[in-house]
Amino acid sequence: MNEITPEIDRPHIPWPSHEDGGRGSLWNYFLLASLVVLFIWSYQGSEIRLAQLFSREGGGEILSYIKKLFPPDFSPPVLREAFRGAIETFAISFIGTLLAVVIALSVVFFASRNLIFSGLLYEMEPRRGWRRTLRLLPYLCAKSLLNLLRTIPEMVWALIFVFLVGLGPFPGVLALGIHTGGVLGKLFGEVLEDVDAQPIESLQSTGANRLQILFYSILPQVLPQFISYTLYRWEVNIRVAAVLGFVGAGGLGQRIHIAINLFFGNQLLTLIIAIYILVTAVDYLSAYLRRKVI
Amino acid sequence: MDQYRLEKVSKIFDRRLVAVDGIDLGVQRGERVALIGPSGAGKTTLFRMLNCTLRPTAGRLWINGDEVVTLHGKRLREARRKIGTIYQQHNLVPRLKVVHNVLAGNLGQWSTVRSLSSLFRPVDLELANRALRQVGIEEKIFARTDELSGGQQQRVAIARVLMQDPEAILADEPVSSVDPSLATVIVKLLIEISQKTRKTLLINLHGVDLALAYFPRVVGIKNGKALFDLPPDKVSDSLLEELYSGHLPDNQENGLTDEESKPLVYQ
Repeated sequence: MNEITPEIDRPHIPWPSHEDGGRGSLWNYFLLASLVVLFIWSYQGSEIRLAQLFSREGGGEILSYIKKLFPPDFSPPVLREAFRGAIETFAISFIGTLLAVVIALSVVFFASRNLIFSGLLYEMEPRRGWRRTLRLLPYLCAKSLLNLLRTIPEMVWALIFVFLVGLGPFPGVLALGIHTGGVLGKLFGEVLEDVDAQPIESLQSTGANRLQILFYSILPQVLPQFISYTLYRWEVNIRVAAVLGFVGAGGLGQRIHIAINLFFGNQLLTLIIAIYILVTAVDYLSAYLRRKVI
Repeated sequence: MDQYRLEKVSKIFDRRLVAVDGIDLGVQRGERVALIGPSGAGKTTLFRMLNCTLRPTAGRLWINGDEVVTLHGKRLREARRKIGTIYQQHNLVPRLKVVHNVLAGNLGQWSTVRSLSSLFRPVDLELANRALRQVGIEEKIFARTDELSGGQQQRVAIARVLMQDPEAILADEPVSSVDPSLATVIVKLLIEISQKTRKTLLINLHGVDLALAYFPRVVGIKNGKALFDLPPDKVSDSLLEELYSGHLPDNQENGLTDEESKPLVYQ
């Protein structure tokens, strides 16, 4: 009954790196060595002192600090203050993200090369000439503006705006809106440059102008992704809004900053719980909305 | 009057890929012409020049007596408005309702403001409905376009061309993404439309039988050149054999491997 299964003739498949004389693997060793060097260098650069963190004194200090946080202070005035902080943080993130969408939408169409100077929409235009050069100008301006907004972090914008318009949530809104405007502008731009060309071609061939093509073919394609990216950035922004207060830009962060500086441990824990609840709630809401859109 | 006149028209992509190679062709107003040939022969690229999407690399192309390279801006859009194109696939905006895709045929005539307001509250609902009735799917007017089958979407595309009311209709392999029984129906529909309103009809057909059965003039395209330009009864089997020699007859079904049908890529 025991039939012998025929031997399967296994072809010998050579390992690729043996064929090119091991050059590939040499390159891999080099990469690995570079990573190790980079790690050691960065480790020293960031002055990590694990011994101190886990020593008896260090560990003890951490423990005693944590003990000081408990129990959280749920007295009505503290709760009210935490609630107000949470509302303020929510408002900063919401208005800030809206401002960002306005900024991104007003700039991004100039920053997409397929909409402004090249590709299908400009195929029949004269190849050379001053018009083409002239269109390059708004493109470069828009692109560099978005880069400027995006590369400067929210915190730096917040410091600048606190200096310009004073303490409170308002500089927080401006900081979030401007930085996120740059981020969304870049993301929206990538979506726009990636848009399916065929509906555009077919509308153009009916004699539609570029603005009509934008409304009838491009926006319907990109809008769901725009909304999804915006919601995602809102999730990020609620976290950022919670710490913007450290530089005086309102919200829960400002109250946390005060609680840390004045050693109000129990109040600090209350505020941290408030952040946890707020961020989780917004995460869920945003994730739910994003599922709806796509 | 000449609808189209082509003199040694060529299209070369990226300075090396020769898609159309010196085609001479004249098409009278109201004529019905079928173009046949293996995929990759340059038929789609030729059509994209005929509807003012691509600029010829060399040669001269006149539409209604106007040479296309001289057309810009408003005059170019006006020339495009008079040519309706039906594509093989993916030519509609999937997320829009059918009514908007049909009314998009009006964009060449509408002002920008009017077309924008129509997206919120469709204007000319009556006209859209009539166009859809002509292609037999008026009940789908408020459906989302991506919920329709391939054949229904092709009908929406035809309804859009009806809406556009052009002087010439270019149909680029309009039936290669629908099932064969529907193919004849759609080709007949296009012929009926062109006859009723005396529109020029140029069609790229994958199926030789349809071309020979329904069109008084058949042009064979191979390697970017016109191999023959004859009435159907003069198109012999040996000519067809020559047209398709070196090509597997049935590898063109998916249409996606077709180098020329790739959209012009954005940099």
